[in-house]
Amino acid sequence: MDEILHLSHISRTFPGVRALQDISFDLKRGEVHCLCGENGAGKSTLIKILSGAYQPDEGGQIFFNGKEVSLTPLAALKMGIHTIYQEHIVFDALSVTENIFAGKEITRWGLQQRKEMRRQTEEVLRYLKSDLSPDMRMSALTSGQQKIVEIAKALVSKGNVIILDEPTASFSSKEIDTVLDIVKTIRQNGIGVIYISHHLEEIFKIGDRATVLRDGRKVSSYPIAGLSKTTLIKDMVGRDPSSFYKRERVKRGEPVLEVRNVTGNGARNVSFTLRRGEVLGIAGMVGSGRSELLEVLFGSAPLVYGEIAINGRLVKQSSPASAIRNKMCFITEDRQATGLFLPKSIAENVVVANMANTRNVIELPTHAVATGEKYVKLLSIKAPSARTQVVNLSGGNQQKVVLGKWFNTGGEIYLFDEPSRGIDVGSKQEIYKVMVDLLKGGKAIVMVSSDMPEVISMSDRVIVFKGGEIAGELTGERITEENILTLSIGDRKE
Amino acid sequence: MSEQQTPDTTLPVKESLFKRYENLTVFSIFASFVAIVVLVQLISTGGSRFPTFISPVNIVNILQQVAVPGMVAVSMTMVMISGGIDLSVGMLASLVSIIVSLGISKWGFGVWPSIGLGVVSAVVLETIMGFIISRTSVEPFIITLGGMISFQGIALLLCNSREVVMKGELDFLTTNLLQGARDPVTGLILRIPPYVLVFFLIALVGGLALTYTKYGRRIYAVGTNRRAAFLAGINVPNIRLFVYTIQGLLVGIGATMLLARINTGIITLGQGLEIDTIAMVVIGGTALSGGRGNIVGTLIGVFFLGSIANAMNLLRLPSEVQFLAKGLVVIVAVSAGDVSSRLSEFWALKREQANARIAAATAKKGGANEPGNVQADMQDSSV
Repeated sequence: MDEILHLSHISRTFPGVRALQDISFDLKRGEVHCLCGENGAGKSTLIKILSGAYQPDEGGQIFFNGKEVSLTPLAALKMGIHTIYQEHIVFDALSVTENIFAGKEITRWGLQQRKEMRRQTEEVLRYLKSDLSPDMRMSALTSGQQKIVEIAKALVSKGNVIILDEPTASFSSKEIDTVLDIVKTIRQNGIGVIYISHHLEEIFKIGDRATVLRDGRKVSSYPIAGLSKTTLIKDMVGRDPSSFYKRERVKRGEPVLEVRNVTGNGARNVSFTLRRGEVLGIAGMVGSGRSELLEVLFGSAPLVYGEIAINGRLVKQSSPASAIRNKMCFITEDRQATGLFLPKSIAENVVVANMANTRNVIELPTHAVATGEKYVKLLSIKAPSARTQVVNLSGGNQQKVVLGKWFNTGGEIYLFDEPSRGIDVGSKQEIYKVMVDLLKGGKAIVMVSSDMPEVISMSDRVIVFKGGEIAGELTGERITEENILTLSIGDRKE
Repeated sequence: MSEQQTPDTTLPVKESLFKRYENLTVFSIFASFVAIVVLVQLISTGGSRFPTFISPVNIVNILQQVAVPGMVAVSMTMVMISGGIDLSVGMLASLVSIIVSLGISKWGFGVWPSIGLGVVSAVVLETIMGFIISRTSVEPFIITLGGMISFQGIALLLCNSREVVMKGELDFLTTNLLQGARDPVTGLILRIPPYVLVFFLIALVGGLALTYTKYGRRIYAVGTNRRAAFLAGINVPNIRLFVYTIQGLLVGIGATMLLARINTGIITLGQGLEIDTIAMVVIGGTALSGGRGNIVGTLIGVFFLGSIANAMNLLRLPSEVQFLAKGLVVIVAVSAGDVSSRLSEFWALKREQANARIAAATAKKGGANEPGNVQADMQDSSV
């Protein structure tokens, strides 16, 4: 087996963050090389460098077939490095053939050679042992079948390296087997495969080697044969817990939110009880149904089955408006897209959610500004006044505006989705302090987070999600990176 | 990935006046337009006569012309702030005029019931469109385009493609409220009919409602970020429906006023009303994408667009020129804000470049004097 791709001493810095540090990595022909690591370990950054989307910092080298190269998106494609991302990038209205040849149509005198394209598509689909027809519309295919088309596309354009980023996320187990079989097939053809998956069993089924990343560094690299799952998980964790944020504990009160067998929006049969003065952390891999559960609890996605009780009384969360009236707050993951009115002032953003609670028709701008000023002071938002447009604020201050909006509703149950995403370290600690203050005031928090130190340092209890279900609950001393990871990437339940 | 950590000191240092007062750009363009027309008039008469463009009788004249499109522009502003658009207002106005005139002259319903029928039909039809728009993800452009064509069809069916002439039953809407008043400049009779007052009343109530009520603020929220509005407990579909209902009400009232002026229910009555009102609203600074705009801006747009034809007339330019002028005004007024911010960005960049050059030059000089200066050495090597 000869080496097709070799990275040496690759680093990548973003303002304020070192996403990758001194990574060396290689890939041989006909090999499946798995990349492992937690959320945010640097896997995505690495594949973005391989696909040419990011340029590495100076000092790193990339060799392709032994020659040093610099990768741009176009150059990567020319060398036959194909990246298949988690989200499908397909043309829904076009056929399988048209998708495969989009942008590189076979033409003669400017006319498309439809027959020839169709023939090649048929050939590659047969090679992949797929029963798809070249004429099927992309929109009629399942996401597993669309993935196969994307792999076929890479093969048709003579791929040398195929990078699969989470190819099986949200697939049924039969579809997973099909994709794994295809990976085995293309490997025999001398193509190098870089395979990223949160599911360890897949890695053990098809991988030849595994490389573990943690916090942007390479931790280890093993041949899969003879490797144990525990070794792999140990390498993926291993931060020093003493460096985590130390939070004040608050005495727990009576139950405020009870969730029983809640099903809907991808979450299945979820039950838990939340008490006043407590942070319930929800951990798990991205896409395991955590945010989806919050949507159901908040009434922005339909509840299919199950019960939600607040202060011992069954409630119907038919819309966010009713959730707000039931004293619930939802700090969403993507504050710019779903939490804020960016071109509007701090004042206007802060007063908007409480309108669901009041019967007042008159809403004076001066009153909004006064309320805005109150929260600018209370949360020490760095802005000249409450009239400042939110778009001009930094990430941390924007998050504080979101918090102000919910404080103003007088809510008691706070659903935090990734409370500190995209926030600098200083503001992060301020947000944590605000969360503890909430607890002291008798409020309760459900916190979804992919940031391990955050989950471990902030949570009183942790439930771990896997495939939309609770895989386990951890309390006290048992809240460790290793336990969380074992639960969230352990064997898939059939 | 973590986003850029903006240091907390980089706050908007100085906002330009044009940014702080959103209507100032349009207002200054309008003011310069008025000034130019007045100047031309003064020069052509050698300064011997008061410029007729700003004489009270002409201003009152313009008011009469813009009152009806102005009313519709108020609700169009709300529709557009919520992120929608309404192409059907012109044909809906024609339909209302035909219903009211038929009611009075043919069906014998009496004046007020006929007016009521017309207004209610407009409200119902707009509400139906609003219902479809707010409950589906179909573009408002398409739905109201379909509405416009079907309203034309209903109107033509009702009147058998003929005009419906009345006997002045609606004249009470056009009586002069200023009996006997004369323009001190020209000596002509000043006329202020009731519908001009109705227009001002609607603009006042609309403006106050948008700024000072919960529902007004919610219209802005829905237009700015629909998803965030939903998660903040706003009933997004109902807000989007509500603005079309208001639109129906104001089109109904406006069409009745137009009918009173012309005394004939006819299919061409509302022709071009949608184009005029949308132009007025966008001149006034309302964004087609929603979330931005206000009634004061719209009023400036109303008077601006409404005075163009009048000014062309007074300047003895052929009336065909007015379309060109109107079109240019829309383009200039809407792109002015963007052009000015781009220009100021460009000058800021130039200034920054100049400062950087000066800084680099001084650093180089310093490096030559002190060979041990590490920073200067690094800059030398990078040059």
